[in-house]
Parts: sequence; C-alpha cells; structure tokens
Amino acid sequence: MAISILRKGLTMKKLDDVLKNNLNGLHYGNRVLLPFQADILKAVIENDIITDFSSTKSGASYKVNEDFTEIYFYDYKILSEVVKGFEKIKLIVVEKGRDIFDFSNHRKIALSIEEKHKITISEINDDTLLFIE
Amino acid sequence: MNKITSKIILLLILLFNSNSVFASGAEETEHVLPNPIMVLPFAILLLMIATGPLFYHHFWERNYPKIALALGSVTVLYYLIFLNDTHSLVHTLAEYISFIALLASLFVASGGILIKVAKKSTPMLNVMILLFGAVISNIIGTTGASMLLIRPYIKVNRDRIKAYHIVFFIFAVSNIGGALDPIGDPPLFLGFLRGIGFFWFFEHIFVVWVPTLLALMTIFYIIDSRNKGEEKPGVEYTGKIEFRGGKNVIFLAIILLSVFIDPGIIKWVPSLTPLPFGIREIIMLTVVYFSYKYADKKILEANEFNFEPIREVAFLFVGIFATMIPALQLIEHESKIYGHELTPGIFYWATGSLSAFLDNAPTFLNFLSAALGKYGMDVDVKQQVYDFSLTYPIYVQAISIAAVFFGAMSYIGNGPNFMVKSICERAGIKMPSFFGFLIKYSIPILLPLFFIIWLLVFYGRV
Repeated sequence: MAISILRKGLTMKKLDDVLKNNLNGLHYGNRVLLPFQADILKAVIENDIITDFSSTKSGASYKVNEDFTEIYFYDYKILSEVVKGFEKIKLIVVEKGRDIFDFSNHRKIALSIEEKHKITISEINDDTLLFIE
Repeated sequence: MNKITSKIILLLILLFNSNSVFASGAEETEHVLPNPIMVLPFAILLLMIATGPLFYHHFWERNYPKIALALGSVTVLYYLIFLNDTHSLVHTLAEYISFIALLASLFVASGGILIKVAKKSTPMLNVMILLFGAVISNIIGTTGASMLLIRPYIKVNRDRIKAYHIVFFIFAVSNIGGALDPIGDPPLFLGFLRGIGFFWFFEHIFVVWVPTLLALMTIFYIIDSRNKGEEKPGVEYTGKIEFRGGKNVIFLAIILLSVFIDPGIIKWVPSLTPLPFGIREIIMLTVVYFSYKYADKKILEANEFNFEPIREVAFLFVGIFATMIPALQLIEHESKIYGHELTPGIFYWATGSLSAFLDNAPTFLNFLSAALGKYGMDVDVKQQVYDFSLTYPIYVQAISIAAVFFGAMSYIGNGPNFMVKSICERAGIKMPSFFGFLIKYSIPILLPLFFIIWLLVFYGRV
C-alpha cells in the first residue's frame, strides 16, 4: 500500500505539468501512451472523428491506468505512417478527478507523432489549431 | 415540363444505344465510339465514392487510390487495346494535368496564408463572408477562395458551427460564386480558350448570379438565425481582421497570371506538344514547390497543412477523368445527332445533371460543341465560337450556368467540394455523407432554385 502511494506520488503527472514541462508521450504501432490520467471525449485522426470508444475492434478505445492513459486506434496499424508532417491527432480530454460535465474542464490537446516512438503533446487554442468540440 | 424531362431522359438513355464511328467535337480526329458497357467503370467508381465513406469507411480510406487507378486502367487499356485510340487518352491526360496543377498550386499557396477574424459570429457576418468568398472566387478561383476562407469561417463560427454552415460555403464559395469570369471555374476557362470573350460571362451571367446568391443567402440567413449556439462567457472580440502570409499572395498572383500563359491566348508562348502539359502547368507545379518551401512554418502548422486533401483529389480524379472518357464521348455523339431537338432548357438540365456528378469542364465543352453543331458551327474555330456567343447567347448562358451552378449538387461535382469536406472533418466537424448532402441539402435547397432559374430564364426559349 505504502509502495503504491509512493509510486503514485512519483510518477503520476497532471496535464498542466505535462504541458508546462513539455513532457512527451509514446507511440507504438497503433497504441498511444499519454503520461497523465484522463477520460477522452473525442478524437480526430485524419478524417476520422471518433466519439464511440466502446468497441475493441474498430474506431478507438482507451484505458486509464494508474500512471498513464493508453489509446488504441484500431483502424490504423502504424500511426507514424498516417499522421505525418504538420498533421496531428486531436483529442478532447477531461483530466481524471475533474467534473466531466463542466465544459471548462474539457481540454483540447494535439499529439504530434515524432521519431523514436515519441509523442509531443501541446494544448490547442484558437490561435493554433482548428478543432471544434 | 414532362416533355422536357422526357427529352433529357431520352438523351441519357440514348447513351446506351450507340455503336457507330463519330468525330469528336474538341478535335477533328475520328474515334471509334466506345461500347456503352464501358460506362460501367465510371458508374462503379461513382458508386464507390458515394458508398465507401458511408458503409466501408476504412477499407475505402486505405484502398481508394488503388481502386481509382484500377478502374481508370480498365478504361485506358480498353482504349489502347480495343479502340487503338491514344488521342483520347492523351487529350484527357492533358486536361487532368491542367486540372490538378491548378488545384494543387492554389491549395498549397493558400495553405501558407492565415486570416484571423476576431468578430462574433452572427448570421449577417456569415452572409458577408460567404458573399465575399463568392466575389473573390472570380479573382482567385473557387479553389483558392475556398482554401483561403474555410478556416477563418470555421473559426468565426467555432461555438455554433453546424454542417449546414459548410454546405452553404460549398454552395456559394466553392461553386456558384465562380460563375462570372473564366478564372472562376475551369469550364468557363475552357470556353474562354475556345473563343468566348473574357467579360462575356459577367455580362450574361451576372443577372442570374445575383438573384441566385441572394436567394441562397436568404435561406442561409433564416437557418442561421435559428442557431443560437452557446456564447462563451468572457470572450472579447476586438473586431480585427489579421492577415498573415503575404508572400504566398504573390504566389497566388503568379498562379493567376500563369492561367493566361497559353499558346491559344498569347501567340509567343511556345506549345510543348506532344507533351501533355504546357508552360502554364510547369509554372503552377513550380509554385507548388516554392510556395511550400518558403511558407511560414507557423502558418502551415496553424493551418495543419498536409497534402492529404490534394492527394485524395488527385487519386480520385485520375480515376474519374479516365473512366468518364466513354461517357463523355457517348454524350457528345448523341447530342450531335439530336442537337436540333435540344432547346436551351434541355441544354441547361442536361449539362447540369451531368455536371453534378461528372467533371464540369469536359461536360461544358461537349454541350457547347453540340449547341454550335446545331447551327453548323465548329467549336474548334475561335471566330465561330465568338460569333455564336453573341448571336445565340442563350445557349452559352444555359450551358455555363448549369456547368458551374450544378457543381454544388454533390461532393464530387467540383474539386474544392471534396477538399473543403476533408478540411472540416480534420477540424472535428461531422459532415453529411454523400447521400446526406444530396437528400438534406442540395436537392431541397439548390434544385428548387435551379428550377426557378430554368423557369424564368430558359423555359420556352428556342
């Protein structure tokens, strides 16, 4: 129990910390790992607008783990082959513990697929990307 | 109405009863008429474009380039092996290269421009943006205007955006707007190359363009007024309009000037025949390279610029251009035979119904050729085309209006339609399906408008 709490305290990060410190996520094939806990409300990848995360065969699903959130995009084998250049995966997320029904807690983030399995996470605002909730 | 409808249906049915040799309207070369069964690859491709994103989305997303190329290859091989007709293929390849060079250059150059409008979304502001887009589509083409304005338009409406906002954008900016001069839309440019005066379109289409757009904007205003949206507390609007990416405006200007660099317009411009492209296409493709290389990377990032929308158009339209060769040749053949029975109204509906789903440029040219043929004139003789446009303007008016306006009827009616759809989906906006677009929007909104145009302008005219 004590070890678990200690581990949580050491590794779990807040979304604001991740954005502030430019902490990266990871990608392996069609799997994305984000270094914070969050529920995902909407994902846009290429022309796909995904709001149904219930399937484990098509679209996408996500799982909130103790230290990270993982997303599987079932319709894409290798994300780095489709999300290239200036293109990004866009998400609307609500950080774990926040009121999901309060729209001010809905955060828009963009994921850039980089080399060596790295994902750059940035917040979307009206001055940067075009992303409608 | 019944008589006219039956004539149009007759014209379309006749396509399937052809088996003779004919002379193409565009060129004097003799062609063997294709077997009507060769319309099938085109029909299959259209059906797949319509159903793919709806019923087998991911299979379609992964395989549309292969499908478009495979179906296009069937037609190409048929022409090579069975008809021994390379002329039609080279001619179509030249039209395709010209089409994609213009679209790609406008797409890339405008991708490096960022417009920010810090104004509160209102129905009147939206009407102003759409009207502004309709006007500038005559200066930078429907593709350029669409690419330049779609993002600021979405941003202005970000808190209340619905699919109808985009659909009306496609109607007004991506299609109907560009009917006033040859730069607006490719079919009019082909007409200009053949001898119709540059300002002829403005003189003869403006009287239809204005009421059509006003009617469309009135419908839009009523719909948009009912959308209250959600006002975000604390948001302040400075009212400023910010423009970034000035050097790409220079690239846009180069593209527009290059449109006129054609041996048919300027005598000293060398023709690169037998190559299927000219100096104009070389300039446009060079602009693609430099406007991307020297664009402000922050603007490209903000526009989330990528080549996928133009890649999608390039692959789908290579299939469409190839597979529609038999369909267009059959149309041309039949319209020449039955040309004397065709009134301006018939030309209007026949050009329009085909332009809604086919490329409107060759459709325009084939029906123009048929209309000229009715009076013993030749579309290849510039002076005759010029004389025809002055003597029988009602025919050119019917064909021009139909070719441009009906392009708004479906996603595949005009190149920018698909690009706008793709950009909106990437921004998270759920767009109507192919059939949804037809059933919910173009049939109930555009078709009655087009019917009124026919009733007021072309009905009973001979």
